[in-house]
Amino acid sequence: MSDSVVDLTKTYDAVVIGSGAAGGMACHVLTSHGAKVLLLEAGKKLPIEKELRSMEWPYDNKYRGFLPPDYHSLDYNEYTIRRPPYGPGFEHDKHLKSYIGSTDYTKNICVDERDNPYTGTNYAWVRARCLGGKTNIWGRLSLRLSDYDFKAHDRDGFGENWPISYSDLSPYYDKVDLYLGVTGVKEGLEWLPDSIFQRPTKLNCAEVTLKEALKSKLGRTLTQYRAGVTTDGLKHNKYRSRCFGRGACERKGGCDIHAAFDSPTGLIYPAADTGNLSIRTNAVVREITTDPNTGKATGAHFVDNETMKDYYVKAKVVVVAASTLESARLLLLSKSKQHPNGLANSSGHVGHNFCEHVMGGGVSCRVKNLVGKAPTLDDGRPGGFYIPRFRNLKEKNPNFIRGYGFEGGGGSTMFPSGTQINGFGASYKEEVRKNQGAYIGLGGFGEVLARYENYVDLDPVVKDKWGIPALRFHYKFGENEHAMIKDMTETAQEMAEAAGFEILHVSKRTLTEGWSIHELGTARMGDDPKKSVLNQFEQSHDVKNLFVVDGSAFVNASCQNPTWSIMALCWRSMDYCAEEMKKGNI
Amino acid sequence: MSNISDDSKKNPIDFRQDRRAWLKTSATAIGASFLTLPAATIAGAQDAAAPAAKEEKPAAAKSTGRFFTPAQHKLVDELTETIIPKDSHSGGAKDAKVADFIDQHVGESGDNDDKELWREGLRLIDSMSQHYTGKTFLDGSPEDRVAVLTVLSDNEQMTDVLEVRFYKELKHLTVLGYYTSSVGIHDELEYKGNRYLQEFVGCDDPTPK
Repeated sequence: MSDSVVDLTKTYDAVVIGSGAAGGMACHVLTSHGAKVLLLEAGKKLPIEKELRSMEWPYDNKYRGFLPPDYHSLDYNEYTIRRPPYGPGFEHDKHLKSYIGSTDYTKNICVDERDNPYTGTNYAWVRARCLGGKTNIWGRLSLRLSDYDFKAHDRDGFGENWPISYSDLSPYYDKVDLYLGVTGVKEGLEWLPDSIFQRPTKLNCAEVTLKEALKSKLGRTLTQYRAGVTTDGLKHNKYRSRCFGRGACERKGGCDIHAAFDSPTGLIYPAADTGNLSIRTNAVVREITTDPNTGKATGAHFVDNETMKDYYVKAKVVVVAASTLESARLLLLSKSKQHPNGLANSSGHVGHNFCEHVMGGGVSCRVKNLVGKAPTLDDGRPGGFYIPRFRNLKEKNPNFIRGYGFEGGGGSTMFPSGTQINGFGASYKEEVRKNQGAYIGLGGFGEVLARYENYVDLDPVVKDKWGIPALRFHYKFGENEHAMIKDMTETAQEMAEAAGFEILHVSKRTLTEGWSIHELGTARMGDDPKKSVLNQFEQSHDVKNLFVVDGSAFVNASCQNPTWSIMALCWRSMDYCAEEMKKGNI
Repeated sequence: MSNISDDSKKNPIDFRQDRRAWLKTSATAIGASFLTLPAATIAGAQDAAAPAAKEEKPAAAKSTGRFFTPAQHKLVDELTETIIPKDSHSGGAKDAKVADFIDQHVGESGDNDDKELWREGLRLIDSMSQHYTGKTFLDGSPEDRVAVLTVLSDNEQMTDVLEVRFYKELKHLTVLGYYTSSVGIHDELEYKGNRYLQEFVGCDDPTPK
């Protein structure tokens, strides 16, 4: 897998820009159809196992797993009080990272904020420029969307329907499940369809108590965390081990045995083994080129991340998978005579309808009957639990449309949960010890409405380290999101009370825009080329040999975590792309 | 223990009033007034007034990340032990070498305000201890030490006061250092995870007796 030297003289069948969940999937599908593909990744290939060190004990790490002193990672207050770009004001820190880059295990995966500035409204933008992108550190919650999401407009009149139904995507969800592995329990919910699950994880005692109370008292479902983790192993993949319940998923950082899905071991290395894939890392794409006569995409200009030298590659098809916001940026950067507003942007919708998940409402609690009990092993698994959406399903909430779900977990963890209590000394120490296994918490993820007025464009002045215009944000949560957070806070308390938990803290503050790392919608699909950027196969309405296969294609955010849906959509689109290429249509 | 006693709850001390007294003592000692509160002011005054403090630093401070003088290190050792003491269940902060963790943390910090907080905090802790117990922190009994830190813990919200900020940072780093140490993880909490499992145990009985 030598990636420093690739042949740039030939014309590839497809060039794929970005190597995360979407880019990896595009490589997998296209190479399996026999297409010759060049993958361009803006960052380098990290020695990822050495970065992640999933089983390292904190005391074996010089900084106990925290950042070395010449690093700083932005926190909630800094994101909220300061305005982007976030670089100025941190001059005495050699490296400046997003809030996810706050550990010794993630510091090299997240980009340096100073090299990659952005402007406009406050936004906690987490970017991982390296082979695999954010899949190296993702939260692993792998959920399907349903027709409650695809046809949400029909239910409440807001926004647009997707140009597909669940029945269109369901076979591709199945393919993703079987190829990459997902653990969970079937619940038979219409609004959260089941996957083809591998062996489920188990709930610990605090979680079982909550599950039973929700079922009997509130009629709500609590199910095991549906993790994109292989618990039974994958016979067809030699790069990934099955999960051995080491519990390292608790901390920020990925999985060094690759039981948790990541794009390189799950998709890119197997694709490279077909002999059809070339990989060029350190390739910062600055423009997609088009033919001045036909308007079709012809290739991409990129700058070498390290040498700053400029390169060009030709391709028959261009697949953009740079992440929702970077993909929008690249389309806007790719202006030409035929495409004066940016590539694929005759509708004017590129960068708009930007949406994600709003976070902040939740509770942390103590389970009284677990206080003072002998220590138990509670965290040896890829996640705790998920409480699927229960709002606006059968009845209409008077205060907001759409829904939210909760993620949560309980029980003992390597670093104890109760250290923030007041005081010190013998009683403090004993309190922390007695309560360590008795904590449980949950936090909501709500749908942010896809609104045209939430958008990104190019900053006219500020440029990144490579001289490429920076992205400018025009993005704020609205009334629906704030009403949702309020409801989230109340229902979280209601559920804790139903379970008989002692509520220690109610979280009411809305986390900074961007916190969910689920940005979506900036090049949405649709049947009408005037109101959408892509058709139902994530193919540009304007440019037939251009596909945008990451989260930017989403029509709405739903409240489910997007990675699994990004990959299912991408698989469907790339199957279509390969068929169209064979037919000679593109 | 002269000024605080068990009936302090009935007659809570006037923290700010008391503070004037111990600041006066410490100011006399160093020949400058620290009645003004912002850290920057204190830091500035300290820079002007404290060539002595700088000379105290060991010569190899920069290369090893060591920040505390031997005397300061000993004081930090006892402060951390007061925060998380040894008990019949497990070792405390001293056994976990938390002072070394803090020494490295402060020493390698690029932020001079951090260093100043520790330099000043350690000095003022002794002034406080003198004020309340008539002894330095190190000379005080375990009860004396608890009494001094209790004054700060009880007034945790007064974050404009350097000593309070120092106490909060002391507790923060002691907790971080202790519960990420082998003593904290294995002896104190008896943590069972971070190993290969054939099968996660889950929950046999959600309501153990």
